[in-house]
Amino acid sequence: MQSNPLWYKDAVIYELHVRAFYDSDGDGAGEFKGLTQKLDYLKDLGVSAVWLLPFYPSPWRDDGYDISDYTSVHSAYGTLDDFKTFLDEAHRRDIRVITELVLNHTSDQHPWFQQARGSRDNPKRDWYVWSETPDRYKDARIIFTDTEQSNWAWDISSKSYYWHRFFSHQPDLNYDNPAVREEMWNVMRFWLEMGVDGLRLDAVPYLVERDGTSCENLPETHDVLKFLRHRLDENFPDKMFLAEANQWPHDVRAYFGSADECHMAFHFPLMPRMFMAIKLEDRKPVVDALDRTPAIPAPCQWGIFLRNHDELTLEMVTMDERDYMYDEFAKDARAKLNLGIRRRLAPLMESDRRRIELLNGLLMSLPGTPIIYYGDEIGMGDNIYLGDRNGVRTPMQWNGGWNAGFSAADPERLYSALISNPLYGYQIVNVESQKRSEHSLLSWMKQLIRVRKSTRVFSRGTMEMLHPLNHRVLAYVREFEGEKILVVSNLSSQAQAAELDLRRWKGTVPIEMFGGNPFPRIGDLLYLLTLGPYHFYWFRLRQL
Amino acid sequence: MAETAQLSDEFIRQLSAVGEVDVLVGIPTFNNKDTIERVVRAVQIGLTKYFHRDRCVLINPDGGSTDGTPEIFKNASVSDFEIMLTSNPLRTFHRVSAPYHGIPGKETALRTLFVAADLLRAKACAILSPTSLSVTPEWVESLVRPAYRENFDFVAPLYQRQKFDGLLVKGLLSPVVRAAYGARIREPVAGDFGLSGKLARHFLDKNIWDQDMTTFGLEIWMTTTAIVDGFKISESFLGPRIQPAPQFGQDLPGTIRQVVGALFKCLEMHESYWLAHSGSEALPTFGFQYDVALEPLKLSTKTILDNFRSNIDQLVPVLESILTPATLVDIRKMIDLPDKQFRCADELWVKTIYEFAAAYHHSAINRDHLLQALTPLYRARVSSFILENAKAPAAKLEQKFEDLGQEFERQKPYLIDRWTAKAGGDR
Repeated sequence: MQSNPLWYKDAVIYELHVRAFYDSDGDGAGEFKGLTQKLDYLKDLGVSAVWLLPFYPSPWRDDGYDISDYTSVHSAYGTLDDFKTFLDEAHRRDIRVITELVLNHTSDQHPWFQQARGSRDNPKRDWYVWSETPDRYKDARIIFTDTEQSNWAWDISSKSYYWHRFFSHQPDLNYDNPAVREEMWNVMRFWLEMGVDGLRLDAVPYLVERDGTSCENLPETHDVLKFLRHRLDENFPDKMFLAEANQWPHDVRAYFGSADECHMAFHFPLMPRMFMAIKLEDRKPVVDALDRTPAIPAPCQWGIFLRNHDELTLEMVTMDERDYMYDEFAKDARAKLNLGIRRRLAPLMESDRRRIELLNGLLMSLPGTPIIYYGDEIGMGDNIYLGDRNGVRTPMQWNGGWNAGFSAADPERLYSALISNPLYGYQIVNVESQKRSEHSLLSWMKQLIRVRKSTRVFSRGTMEMLHPLNHRVLAYVREFEGEKILVVSNLSSQAQAAELDLRRWKGTVPIEMFGGNPFPRIGDLLYLLTLGPYHFYWFRLRQL
Repeated sequence: MAETAQLSDEFIRQLSAVGEVDVLVGIPTFNNKDTIERVVRAVQIGLTKYFHRDRCVLINPDGGSTDGTPEIFKNASVSDFEIMLTSNPLRTFHRVSAPYHGIPGKETALRTLFVAADLLRAKACAILSPTSLSVTPEWVESLVRPAYRENFDFVAPLYQRQKFDGLLVKGLLSPVVRAAYGARIREPVAGDFGLSGKLARHFLDKNIWDQDMTTFGLEIWMTTTAIVDGFKISESFLGPRIQPAPQFGQDLPGTIRQVVGALFKCLEMHESYWLAHSGSEALPTFGFQYDVALEPLKLSTKTILDNFRSNIDQLVPVLESILTPATLVDIRKMIDLPDKQFRCADELWVKTIYEFAAAYHHSAINRDHLLQALTPLYRARVSSFILENAKAPAAKLEQKFEDLGQEFERQKPYLIDRWTAKAGGDR
């Protein structure tokens, strides 16, 4: 692995679920040995980091986000040695590994909680948040509105209530207790010493509770993160924290601190607005989101994404925007879940290749580190008839053969049904068939990633928004160390003309980055570009 | 299709940046600096509040204002939506302002808007007067929604007017349209109205844009053409309508020449339709018709009556060419009535108007002179109406107008007789 303390800024991250990726032992679910076998695919795709969903021992009542042992591997995924082998093989291919760390809560099956509920005198009792009444912290909202009616759950063993911001089987840890902080650092050190490159910190806004507040984004929560970051910098200077804080940018900004909390944080509000912009055929939602995005410390970076393992969350939109998104993207009510839409990228775009490409073009060119969700690079579909978010966590579709090439098990034994409908079924949408075509989505994604990685402008550069009269055209200039890239995207389903004020870059020649063709030199006049439906250009502006 | 060459390059450039739209709102202006900002702000809020998902554009064709109206149009804004609205706009709010080519005037501006609606493939349009002091964001919704969502093609406004405001509309234009065309449209010549994109294109296709009538009476032509050509028409209640300081009689001859002349001309254009049509129907009306206490217009009947009496004698030779002897006798009888007993009955008024219409049709005399001769008679009718209803409540006034409408309908056969009679043969 080449040393690069800012590797996370230059990375293209690929998010996957070990269980869903490849089953090498024929038991119906993926494991680390299988994932290791598919690392060449990821290398060939061009991604530079893999983010793994939780693989720890767990009762799997929340797909692994209910951890019952932080320093082991769920037996279904293999052993710690299997993980170490995977890690080494990934590093050998210059692919870094980011793992999940669910800081906020454990499973109710975790021994810590079992001890805590077993006796009020147990030292672990204070590792969780207890109350004699469900009246504390009343101002905290309920996140999983479809399933939970309160943030307090009654524990029949100790006859008291425990606090949970997510499912009731996920009791929140008590970060007011220094022992909890210390133990969580020990967990981090365990994985970092093994070689893990980054930790995605799940649900960080909710670590600490205070009466009279929303119990989100509290100063005390930031103190916890500063404590952990300080330990990290002291011991592992090249490692990275990625915060999951589904909040407005000005609130998320706090999770970067003064570059002394998290290195990265997801930009949640931008994601739905990219979809909205394409549906509205208007750049306004994206421009508004970026306008409201505060500057962040130089070493920090936004993590941007189109889809992930959760529903397309609509928490960070207005009620009107949410209604609009539901009406346009969740016409089938089964697609709705909590405050979001449980669909993959391709179905959201009605398998329109042009729109899928445009969204990926935005993902790869807007400020931030792009994160691709497994299967979206081939346009996989989903299954809204499966419960919770399982419909977007179905097996990876490797080929058109037995079980999509995912597993040799009997189909009935698979952890999840395959996508098999005529539009997105594995017989049609799979890696093997797309590898055979230069014009497949997979081939196109490889090229896109290659071009993205050909420069550091996208990963580190500044951005200047342009404001052509035509609002259907989104245009901006990225710049880093004297290198400039012009991005122009047509958000509309119809051909558009745009006149760009590029006079600041007068004299430069736009070189189209995918084909390498030079365009007319920029002069004193507005620069006229015509774009086909959903078409986009990336131009390197060169002094020639 | 009307030529589009009247659009300037700059206008086309701005329109091409807007692209296809769902809703187009037009505000034609000419030196309206005192009122335009309020109207623009109301429209912006209205579009955001009621059409925040839809593709909207606000267009201001300007007739060459020299008072800074276009600049005020461009800069008028609502910055804090959160205070005023429940929502922020989802889309870019477009506004286009450009001077139009041709003779400055509302008709050229409307033509420009219709061309823009055609180019942008607008589904629904609303045209708003730049001078209304009482415009609200709800006007936009009321005028657009029936065309956009309810499949209507023409949306006439329904105002709550000050007492005695709009007597020319209520006492002449509306009842004539009702009797002739069969549609009980209460504001047939309004400056605020809605229409479908389909109807805008239909208007453009008509070969009237280079005729004189477009200089004066486009509104009545649009209303009656929409009826005759079978478009779906509705009304929307907008609430109070307050315009800057109206003055009764201010260029009344000019107004009558323009508006009544346009009405008579429309009757000629559409005679095959209305001659064969009988009865009338109320229109579907949108909006809750609430009442707001409005100050009545203060009109001096003495001045109006003096004006009538001093002019009528010298007009008798002209009136003899227009009216039947019996009608003229009845009119002359009014001259000597004392002020308090001065009356021009509905029956006589309707008969008079129909005889004027027929005379206009037969070109009994120069048409401008004919329309000029109507002015003192109109003054007489207004005086009579005010005197008779000085203390009448609003509801009773509405009943009076309904009675008048029925009288126009009752006497329609008389109009047909006069209209179809050989010119001058039976006076």
